Amino acid sequence: MSTYIQFAAIKFRNNMAYRFEYIMGILNTVLSFLVYWCIYKALYGGANEIDGITFSMVTTNFIISLGLTNAFSKNEMFLQDKIKQGTIANELLKPVNFKFRMLFEDLGDGFFKVVFNFLPAVIIAMLFTEMMPPAGIFGFVLCLVSAVLGYIVLWYISFIVQTLAFWLFNVWGLITIKNVIVNIFSGALLPLWFMPQPVLNIIKFTPFDSIFFTPVQLYLGQLQGYEILLNFGRQVLWIAILYFIGELLWNKGIKRLIVQGG
Amino acid sequence: MSKTIIDVQNISKIFKITKRKTGFKGALANIFHPEHEYKKAVNDISFNIKEGEMVGFIGPNGAGKSTTVKMLSGILYPDSGNINISGYIPHKQRKEYVANIGVVFGQKSQISWDLSPLDSYEVIKHIYKIPDKKYKENIERFTELLDMRKFINQPVRQLSLGQRMRADIAAALLHSPKIVFFDEPTIGIDVVGKEKIRSFIKTLNKTDNITMIFTTHDMQDIEKTCERLIIIDDGKKLYDGSLDAIKSNYVSSRIIEAEFEQLPEKIDIPYVTVSDVDKNRMKKVITFDTGKTSINSLMSTLLNNYSIKDISVKEPEIDAIISDIYQGKIIVH
Repeated sequence: MSTYIQFAAIKFRNNMAYRFEYIMGILNTVLSFLVYWCIYKALYGGANEIDGITFSMVTTNFIISLGLTNAFSKNEMFLQDKIKQGTIANELLKPVNFKFRMLFEDLGDGFFKVVFNFLPAVIIAMLFTEMMPPAGIFGFVLCLVSAVLGYIVLWYISFIVQTLAFWLFNVWGLITIKNVIVNIFSGALLPLWFMPQPVLNIIKFTPFDSIFFTPVQLYLGQLQGYEILLNFGRQVLWIAILYFIGELLWNKGIKRLIVQGG
Repeated sequence: MSKTIIDVQNISKIFKITKRKTGFKGALANIFHPEHEYKKAVNDISFNIKEGEMVGFIGPNGAGKSTTVKMLSGILYPDSGNINISGYIPHKQRKEYVANIGVVFGQKSQISWDLSPLDSYEVIKHIYKIPDKKYKENIERFTELLDMRKFINQPVRQLSLGQRMRADIAAALLHSPKIVFFDEPTIGIDVVGKEKIRSFIKTLNKTDNITMIFTTHDMQDIEKTCERLIIIDDGKKLYDGSLDAIKSNYVSSRIIEAEFEQLPEKIDIPYVTVSDVDKNRMKKVITFDTGKTSINSLMSTLLNNYSIKDISVKEPEIDAIISDIYQGKIIVH
């Protein structure tokens, strides 16, 4: 375990080396939040609520989704680049679990972004918008736990798309499509409250709403009693399913690995 | 008698190659109707290596050397056959297995471009969980043996190829593996650098009893380091035995280099070929077969009939022998 934490720590330190990028990261987060805020301000047109959804709920949704998007950002070309350039050979020579190593490096990156991009951006956003406080300490803790589970769901979706590089070599296009799908169906682009019921019925059978939307609902205290358990259960179930698919693809892929060059 | 540590039985690896047609029409055809062919990169190779042995692996480009080394390292899955190295099945127990081996790829650096070798070694120390004492000892020893003191704190991108390779070799050996694979470690390196690498490898093999496999194109590497030689070509094993045995068993030709005082009109000796070396044609290379011509009679014929300034007898260069083997002029078994 200490080895993997070391991987995360190295990534974290590497990020510190680029100060300009860090400042731009905060600016980027604040700006994209502002864009969403302005669009919804106009859509609400001065009204306080639409369909029972208040403007501050929408704002809170965006702040949390954006923050999580930030934390969840990862190098999705990692596996493809390693396979294309043949450097995967060096990685496989290390006595470590390749997936855990990837996961921990991404965690190191994500942790850096939460601390140095997201938190400053939230503080700035809170100064001039109406972000709601969490629904109690309990709700906040549940939100954090479910955010971690949501991260793992998203990470495995990305991992699965990345492993297709064993067959396709180039997965950039697939990753882009995956990102669009995740953005729409997870509620990061349009809060799921506003989705038409038929679409929501489909989403219920996908892992996407357990990425951002479950933590948002817990933060706002919208889930009660058994609903909380149900949502956590769905997150855990999706992690199990995705883990299984990822494992299958990885094991099949590594068998047909061709080390390029030399 | 030392025990067998690497046991390879009938391994094969087949690669699927997409045939690319050129040009615009070809590119379209590639999308709609790709054609594949299958290439046997490694074809039914078996061998055993004993603990502490140092084995040279040679063969022309594309012979399957690197593919074999990658299968031995647990990176590639063999399509058929068995590999057992020190009790492990490399591709199945990769994570546990690779902690016991070291691999150097001449064409792929394992140390970070932006860090200094020493920084990279720190990371390796954590990955392999090398105890402090052993880590310090190894760093000290390798710095000395590989002459790295001057550049161990410089970023890798500023190092010369020879320096980088030495840093890479040290990186692969920091965790004191019992088995080390070198895949063309001397490629593109100058004579002095090669010499440093060879002597380091040899020292380590002798003092630490490390089992080594060494692929190369440079026969000097083999002559100076390895006692045993495996030649592969076209995925098949052609020869497995000592270098001396190749020389004595398969090569009966010898070379006489003679410098004449006067240009001979014609040298006419049966079973002997004569060729020019330089432009003034005073120097000749005379190749003969010890089975057909005795060296005594040839020498006396030469010395009695021609006025000769200088004369010497040589074995053919090992490179020439190997190239004859590659081209099928010498059949080994």
